[in-house]
Amino acid sequence: MTKGAGGTGRRIKAGQGTRKTYTSPSKSRGAHLSGRHLRAMLLYISLILGAVVVLFPFFWMITTALKQPGQAYSLQLLPDRPTLDNFRRILADYGFARYFLNSIIVATSAAFLATLFAALAAYAFAKKRFLFKRQLFLFLLASLMIPGMMYMVPQFAIVSQLGLMNTYAAMVLPHLANVFGLFLMKQFMESIPSSLLDSSRIDGASELQVFRHIVVPLSLPVIATLFLLTFQFHWGNFLWQLIVTNKESLYTVPVGLAMFRDAHEELVTLKMAGAAISIIPIGILFFFTQRLFIEGMTKGAVKG
Amino acid sequence: MNFSKFDRSRLIPVLFLCAAIAAALSCGGGQKETGEETGPVTLTYWQTYNDDENALFAELIEEYQATHPGVTIQTTRLPFMGAEPKILTALATRTTPDIARVDGSFVPKLATRNALMNLDEIGPGDIKQDLHPVALSSCLVGGVTYALPEQVNGLCLFYNKDLFRRAGLDPEVPPETWDEFIAMGKKLTDQEAGVFGFGMRNSLWWTFPFFNTYGAHFLNEDGTRCVLNGPQGVEAFQLKVDLYRKYKIEGGGWRAGGVRDDMGFQNGKYAMIFSGPWAVKTLQAAEIDFGVGLIPRGPVGTSTNVGGNDLVIFRSCQIPRAALEFLTFMASEQVQTRWANRLGQIPVNIRAEKHLDFGKHPYLKVFVEQMKTAIPRPSIADYDELENIMNPEMQAALDGTKSVQKALDDAVRRINREVLGAAD
Repeated sequence: MTKGAGGTGRRIKAGQGTRKTYTSPSKSRGAHLSGRHLRAMLLYISLILGAVVVLFPFFWMITTALKQPGQAYSLQLLPDRPTLDNFRRILADYGFARYFLNSIIVATSAAFLATLFAALAAYAFAKKRFLFKRQLFLFLLASLMIPGMMYMVPQFAIVSQLGLMNTYAAMVLPHLANVFGLFLMKQFMESIPSSLLDSSRIDGASELQVFRHIVVPLSLPVIATLFLLTFQFHWGNFLWQLIVTNKESLYTVPVGLAMFRDAHEELVTLKMAGAAISIIPIGILFFFTQRLFIEGMTKGAVKG
Repeated sequence: MNFSKFDRSRLIPVLFLCAAIAAALSCGGGQKETGEETGPVTLTYWQTYNDDENALFAELIEEYQATHPGVTIQTTRLPFMGAEPKILTALATRTTPDIARVDGSFVPKLATRNALMNLDEIGPGDIKQDLHPVALSSCLVGGVTYALPEQVNGLCLFYNKDLFRRAGLDPEVPPETWDEFIAMGKKLTDQEAGVFGFGMRNSLWWTFPFFNTYGAHFLNEDGTRCVLNGPQGVEAFQLKVDLYRKYKIEGGGWRAGGVRDDMGFQNGKYAMIFSGPWAVKTLQAAEIDFGVGLIPRGPVGTSTNVGGNDLVIFRSCQIPRAALEFLTFMASEQVQTRWANRLGQIPVNIRAEKHLDFGKHPYLKVFVEQMKTAIPRPSIADYDELENIMNPEMQAALDGTKSVQKALDDAVRRINREVLGAAD
């Protein structure tokens, strides 16, 4: 509708003079529209500028990773003689292939399990009736107010007492009960009509079938969102992974990158190659799930 | 999800609290048995070496184990950045290793929280008299030895020889006094070309060379009050401010968004910077033609600051004698000579100085010379807190929003009140 009005306005404006009586209002409408265009233009310019500011460090990281070692600090935008040797060296000579594999194992398994547990719990809180449901949920929500670092020492003590130090389990286990994920999923699942679940039960579906075939497919946006957020958290988690491991062969990418950065002040191009490698999985994951991710983030927000 | 952003400033106090509680609980039984250990033993060691250091360390370990049958050194390599929180977490849960390599400023923090073995009680023996006094100073807290030094360094003046030539200066003669430094800085500065005589950082540790060459004391003699706002302190810091504001030979490397000193030096933007032995390899890799000189002389001569790493033994260690023997080995004349000659680092053992290969490491001679007049930073448990208070005040003076005297007065007042607990 707005578009049509805009088009008419422009046409009338173009033909002004021949239909004098309409000149005045159409003129004002034309002026209003050009103002709107100006605003849109300003908006786009500011968005483009914002995008440049945000993306430039990534561009600089990649362009530096492609430079010859001697050019690391040169202010050239593009390398003279681009090379992939930095990537080869950091992966092969400095153990990054191993760190990368560790990170993939930890982040994928943690994201998968945390999302699964959150989905199961959220289904119960959203659609089931049980004693002290509300109180229990509030109690869990209250735990969100405790800063995460407060958990770190007790969690470390437990992991250490269980003899899990230097295992993947130590990196993954303490973060599987994710209250934030439970909250996000519960809000989303409450928007699924209960009648839908009831009708499938009447058709003879078991509880597990209801969950698998009705709840999970309908909750896919929020499942993807939580998976992505959890994956990202575990992928970038530095401190916990460092604390529970004493073996270089178990270090993940952030720990390996920090160690490399401190140990090799001079190998700037390699550091950038390592940093560039470290963002690849997040980039790929976000690229394929961005539509679901945005849906998942907004849908839960507007639920009444 | 909750600690996805690693906030050191909030995390460290929490960890300290936990560590302090654990230490208090664990020290009830008094000192550990320090009798002779028998049978095969394993020493766990957390270290933060870079690759070159790590390679040499592996050789040393092999030799040590060969000459000490029954002793196994089990090492864990940590990123330098994460070592402190990892140690504090381990301390809180009593899972510390036997030995760790820590930054010198971390020793007083650990010692005042009862986390470290008092080495004097085990007996470091004669090695202490062979150690560089400034290196040893970071190991002493209240006169008690809590660590042995393993690496020592300090800032020197690095200068770009190409830029010196271009400015018509002799590339083999760096400035010797602050007056010469300013005069040369003016010749080297070409604002249109974006070249400045000097690029500097603004933090307390990086400002100590100024204070020290003016003879400014940080603390009074009994260490109870900060006295940095005395005439020498003000004059020293006024010089630093003037380099930027009055003489305009400093390129603003300290400002947020400014080109950092080491990067500007490599790009030929800054002709002179302060740096240390750690930068040599980077600059050589970048094929910069550079020289190293002493920090310019002030009213009390040349001087610099002190940094480095120390080896500590935690209270949880069951075999302190074996651990101390290993620390002594690492600080020995032989090991320090090899370390210095292989890696171009300053030895912590004075006896090693006569064996140094200055032909192979020409800059090392200057570094060693500079350390003779170095002054250690104040031994305060919360050294980081001094930085936190001083840096914004120094920034205000550099920005011109406060006078040098007012900035130092304000900083000193806060340090006395908040860090030293002294009355105004």
